[in-house]
Amino acid sequence: MAFAAVLLAAVFLFFGLTTARPSGRVVPTHTPDLANGETLFHAGGCIGCHKPSSGTGDPGLPTGGASFPTPIGTFYPGNLTPDLDTGIGRWTAPQFLEAMTEGVSPDGRHYFPAFPYTSYRNMWVEDLLDLHAYLMSLPPARSSQRDPDVAMIGLARRTMGLWKRLAFRVQGFRLDPDRSAAWNRGAYLVQAPGHCGECHTPRNAIMIAADARRLAGGPHPGGEGEVPNLRDLLGRGRYKDVSDLTLALQFGETFGYDKLSSGGMAEVQMNLARLPETDLRAISEYLLSLR
Amino acid sequence: MRVTTFRMFIALAAVAAVVSIAGATATGTTAIKERHEAMEDIGQAMKALAAIAKKEAPFDAGVVKASAETIANLLEKAADLFPDGSDKGDVETWAKAEIWTDRENFNKDLQSAHAAAVEMQSVTDEAAFGAALGAVGNGCKTCHDKYRRPKQ
Repeated sequence: MAFAAVLLAAVFLFFGLTTARPSGRVVPTHTPDLANGETLFHAGGCIGCHKPSSGTGDPGLPTGGASFPTPIGTFYPGNLTPDLDTGIGRWTAPQFLEAMTEGVSPDGRHYFPAFPYTSYRNMWVEDLLDLHAYLMSLPPARSSQRDPDVAMIGLARRTMGLWKRLAFRVQGFRLDPDRSAAWNRGAYLVQAPGHCGECHTPRNAIMIAADARRLAGGPHPGGEGEVPNLRDLLGRGRYKDVSDLTLALQFGETFGYDKLSSGGMAEVQMNLARLPETDLRAISEYLLSLR
Repeated sequence: MRVTTFRMFIALAAVAAVVSIAGATATGTTAIKERHEAMEDIGQAMKALAAIAKKEAPFDAGVVKASAETIANLLEKAADLFPDGSDKGDVETWAKAEIWTDRENFNKDLQSAHAAAVEMQSVTDEAAFGAALGAVGNGCKTCHDKYRRPKQ
């Protein structure tokens, strides 16, 4: 009897703790800047995961379809074009913000953090609105949507509610007034839209990023090989200076920087190459400052 | 007598097994070393081209042609540098299993890289050089992204 009561309480507690609740965020009035939205689209490399499977559809449109293997299962990232039925065409701006910052879908389900909202939740709200407007300006394209191949998906999805309670830090990017504007821009691009830490920061046993070892590298999430450490790149002689790393981010292996093309980094680099040079210099300034 | 024959058979079998394993490792080791050398040579040729692209060296059609030839020749025989059983050896390799499990696509990607290098051999002016180098670079990136294990 007592056991049943405890079990019942545990079930209630689990459901209580894992039910997605609206954040109640107030969306500011904002005139969208599509060009900024496009920059953020490339900074995030959205197309990298949301691309169509090879040989189908326009490879430049984020219709989803391609598979994304992770240690917990294979994901099939969704359609980010404004198609009404298979894309985000019916999403409101607040729903988009909820997905990007809370990892909650318009129908109130938790997304798995393979969708790196843990980083995106640090983006400026204006940037998120610009990105939303940019995605809504893309040509709508239908695509087939598929649930992830994850064991016990219903339970696993709810458990993400608990995981978020542990993994989420205070939301938002904090400017460092002692650093230059470029450094802050670089830090923001790396930590928020760029979500570099999702692979370059090691995780603990329950897959939470170890903040103390930010960008220190670790095992590749795909299961094979090592993600390089981004700390002390200067001291370790990896790059000469900000200009050198900027060239590496712009051209990668084409200019002989062969460290930038394994494990998916070539694709990341080619997306980053579409950012304005000032942004790439900012990223370089921030990265080279890490000790 | 019978027991002795049996023992001899076992011993021979063991020797054969050891020899064949050693043989496989030797094949792997040789192939790994060979392809590392080929990649180093391609890297050197790419360095000469990158120097031009970075404007550290003047545009020189001769250097471009020679480098493009080196790369094309090495890429042409690259498929042979990944024989079956060379996924491991006595030296470390970063080659991923997909090379052998998805041979068809691997060869296709190698061929497009090779085609880009052949294309670059006919570049004679600086205007066409950037795009040609970009295409060769994309060839390198595509294969390495898919088929090379990332390392520190």
